[in-house]
Amino acid sequence: MHSLMFGWEYPPRHLGGLGVACQGLVRGLLHHGVRVTLILPTESETDDTDVRFPTDAFAEQLHVNSLLQPYASFESYEAHIRKVPRNKQEMYGQDLGQAIANYTELSVQMTEDLHPTVVHCHDWMTYEAGRKAAQYHHVPLVTHIHATELDRTNYSPNDYIYEQERKGFTLADKIIAVSNYTKNILMTHYAVSAEKILVVHNGSADLPPSPAFLQSKLEMKKKHPLVLFLGRMVTQKGAVQFLQMAALVHAIRPEVQFVLAGDGHMFGELILLSCEYGLQDNVMFAGKVGLCEANHLYEQADCFVMPSLSEPFGLVALEAIAHGTPVILSRQSGAAEVIDDCFRVDFWDTDKMADCVLTVLREDALAHQLRSYAPRTLQKLTWQRQAGIVQSLYTDLTQC
Amino acid sequence: MHPKICLYFQVHQPYRLRDIRITEIGRGNIDYFDGHKNEQIFRKVAEKCYLPANALMLELLEQYPDFHVSYSLSGVFLDQCREYGQDVLQSFQALARTGKVEFLAETYYHSLASVISLEEYCLEVKKHAETIRELFGEVPRVFRNTELIYNNELAHIARLMGFRGILAEGADAYLQGRNPNDPFRPPDCRLSSAQEKIVREHRPLPMRSRDIAVLLKNYRLSDDVAFRFSDTSWIGYPLHADTFTDWLMQSGGQSVNLFMDYETFGEHQWEDTGIFEFLRSLPALWQERGVEAVTPSQVISAWKKKSAQEYDVHNAISWADMERDLSAWMGNPIQNAALQGIFALEQQVKATENPVLLENWRRLLTSDHFYHMCTKYWSDGDVHRYFSPYESPYEAYRRFSHAIHDLRSRLAS
Repeated sequence: MHSLMFGWEYPPRHLGGLGVACQGLVRGLLHHGVRVTLILPTESETDDTDVRFPTDAFAEQLHVNSLLQPYASFESYEAHIRKVPRNKQEMYGQDLGQAIANYTELSVQMTEDLHPTVVHCHDWMTYEAGRKAAQYHHVPLVTHIHATELDRTNYSPNDYIYEQERKGFTLADKIIAVSNYTKNILMTHYAVSAEKILVVHNGSADLPPSPAFLQSKLEMKKKHPLVLFLGRMVTQKGAVQFLQMAALVHAIRPEVQFVLAGDGHMFGELILLSCEYGLQDNVMFAGKVGLCEANHLYEQADCFVMPSLSEPFGLVALEAIAHGTPVILSRQSGAAEVIDDCFRVDFWDTDKMADCVLTVLREDALAHQLRSYAPRTLQKLTWQRQAGIVQSLYTDLTQC
Repeated sequence: MHPKICLYFQVHQPYRLRDIRITEIGRGNIDYFDGHKNEQIFRKVAEKCYLPANALMLELLEQYPDFHVSYSLSGVFLDQCREYGQDVLQSFQALARTGKVEFLAETYYHSLASVISLEEYCLEVKKHAETIRELFGEVPRVFRNTELIYNNELAHIARLMGFRGILAEGADAYLQGRNPNDPFRPPDCRLSSAQEKIVREHRPLPMRSRDIAVLLKNYRLSDDVAFRFSDTSWIGYPLHADTFTDWLMQSGGQSVNLFMDYETFGEHQWEDTGIFEFLRSLPALWQERGVEAVTPSQVISAWKKKSAQEYDVHNAISWADMERDLSAWMGNPIQNAALQGIFALEQQVKATENPVLLENWRRLLTSDHFYHMCTKYWSDGDVHRYFSPYESPYEAYRRFSHAIHDLRSRLAS
C-alpha cells in the first residue's frame, strides 16, 4: 500500500493543529506498513526538493517551492508575496489562486514517476493537486478535511476557497472528516451525502499524566489559580469569549489569573479589550509559545478553556488533558465529542463558561476527577488506532 | 406444586435540579429544583405510564379474583402527585379500594440515608409509613429500602422498626445456587445500644417484629420483562405471555418475585412494544392455569420460617447495575464529595428547626442526584445516560454543589 499525500505543513515547520495531525497520521500509517510520500509547499532559496527527517525514516517528503502557508487567505498571501524579490514573485504566483495553480502543477509533475495505490490530500489548498494526481495515476482519491473555510471565517467564506472545497468534496471517492461536528457542516453547508463521509477523530501522541503528578496537584492549593487559553488570536478560536468569561470570573474570584497563549491578527485588539474589562492585572498574554512552554503552561493551569466558535477538532484539548488539566470545551467542537470527562458549553454562553470555571476552581473532588479520568480518552484515541481506520479505508477503496 | 407470583412495582420521581448559578448563591430564598422540568416529566410519565397502567390494573384487579399486586410509592413521588398530578394519586387510591393492593414502606426521600445516617433513615421511613396510612388507609408492614439496598444489619433494623418482611435483590453471590423464589431469613445480628435506641425512638410501627422474612427479587425473570422485553437481539424476543408463564411455573419455590420499576409499562418499554397487551393477558392465563398472584404480605403469611434458609449479606447489595452494589451512587470522587457534603449539614439543618430548609436538604438526599453523577459506563452510553436529565455527570455535580453551597450560606445567616 502506497499513499501519495498532499499536505500543507509538517513539524517542525508548522503553525497549527494540521501539521500535528498530519504527522500523527503519517506515523500511524507507517506503523501499519503503509508507504507514504508526502508533498509539502515550502518557501525555499535552494532547489532541494527531497528532505528526510530521521524520525520518519520511511515517509518520503517532497517539498514544492511555494509561498503557500497553512491558514492562508488572499490578504495574508498578498502581504507575504510583497516581501519576495520581484524576479521570484512569478515563480511563486502573484496571488493565492495563482500560487495554488503553480503548486498543483509542480507537485503533480514531481510525482509522475511514483506508483501510488491511493491519493490522500489535506484541506482545500491541496485538493486540486490531489484530484489531478489521482486522475493521472488512476487511483482512488481521499480528501481529508481538518477545517473548512466556514470554521475559519465564522461563516463568511471566500467564494474561491469555498468553491475549491466543494469541488474537492464532489470529486473525492471518500472524505475523511475529523469529527461528527465537521461531518454535519459538510452535509449542511456543502451538500455532501452522509455515506460519502468517514469520521476519523484526531489521535493523540501524548501519554496520560502520572499518578504522582495528579496526586501532587491534589495536594497543592494555589493562592492564584490559573485559567489557560491556547490558540491563534483569530475570531474562530474565541479569545474574545475567553476574556468575557474572565471578566465574570474576576468579579467573583479576583485572585484568579488568566493566560492567553498564541499569536494572531487580533492580538492588539485583545489586549485593549482585557484593559477595558479591568483585567490588566489578571491577564497575561504569552504570545506564540513553543512545545516546551505550552506543556509547562498546561501543567501550571488549574483549568483549560477552549471557547472556539467553530472547532473541527481542537487538538489543544487533548494536549491539555494529557497534562492533567481539567478542560471546558466549546460544544461547537469535535474534541467535545471524544472527551467525556469535561464540561461542554456553547461558545456564546460565557455566563455558563464562567460558572463551570468557578466550579472547577472551587471543587477539589471535581478537579481531581476531571484531571484523572479525562486522560482515559487518550488510551482509546491513539494515532496508531486512528491510522488503522484510515488504512482500512484505503483497502476498501482499492478493492472495489 | 408450582410457585405463586408476587408482583411489586417501584414508583418514584426525583426533584431534578435547576441550572443554578454561582452568582445566585447566598441571595436568599433561591429554588434548587426545576419546577417546570419536573412537572413536564411527571405529566409525560403520567400520560404514558401511570394513568394507562393504573386503568389497566384496576380492570384486571376487578376481573380476576386471584390477582393481587403491590407498589412502593416514594414520598417525593407522592409530593409530586400533590403538585402535578392529583389524577395520578386518585388512580392509585382507586386501586387501593379494591383491597387487593399492598403498599410497601420505604424511605420518604428515596435517599441513601440507610448507608450514612441511621437517625435520618428512621425518620424518613416513619414519615413515609405515616403518609401511606393517611393516603391509603393502611400502615405498611413490609419494607423495601431505596433501590433495594440491603445487608444483614438493614434487615435487622427493619425488624426492629416493626416490619415482618423486607425486599432484596436475589444476588447470585449470596444465593450460592439456591432458588430466589423461597423466602429467606437474615442471620442473627446485633446493633449497639445507641443504635437500638435511635430505632426505638423513631419506630414507624408500634412494636418490633419477632421475625423478618426476606423476599428476593428473581432478577432473571424480572429483567426479562423490565429490560429485555423489546430487545430484538434477545433470544427470547418476542416474549409471549404464555411462554413467560411457562417459565414462571417452571421456576419452582414458593413465589416468583417479580420486582421492577412501574415505569417499565409505557415509559421504559413504550406502548408500541406491546407491553400493555402483555400485561393484560397475564392474569387471564394465570387464572386458567391456576397460578395465583399474591402480595408480599400474603407470601409471608404462608411462610414456614422454621425451615427457612439464611440469606447472609455482609456488604451492601442493591438492584442497580451489573455490580448490584452501591457503586452506582458512591463510585467516583464527585459522588462521594456530594454525599459527604450534603450529609455533613444534617445536624445543622435539623438544629434550625426550619421546615423549609429541612425539606430542601432532604430533597437533595434523593439517590437519583448521585446516580446522575455516575461515570461508570458514561463513555458507552449506558442506562445512566438514558435516565439522566443533565447533559453530563459533571453538570449534575455542578448544580448539586451550588445547592450545597447555598444551603450552607443559608445556615450561616
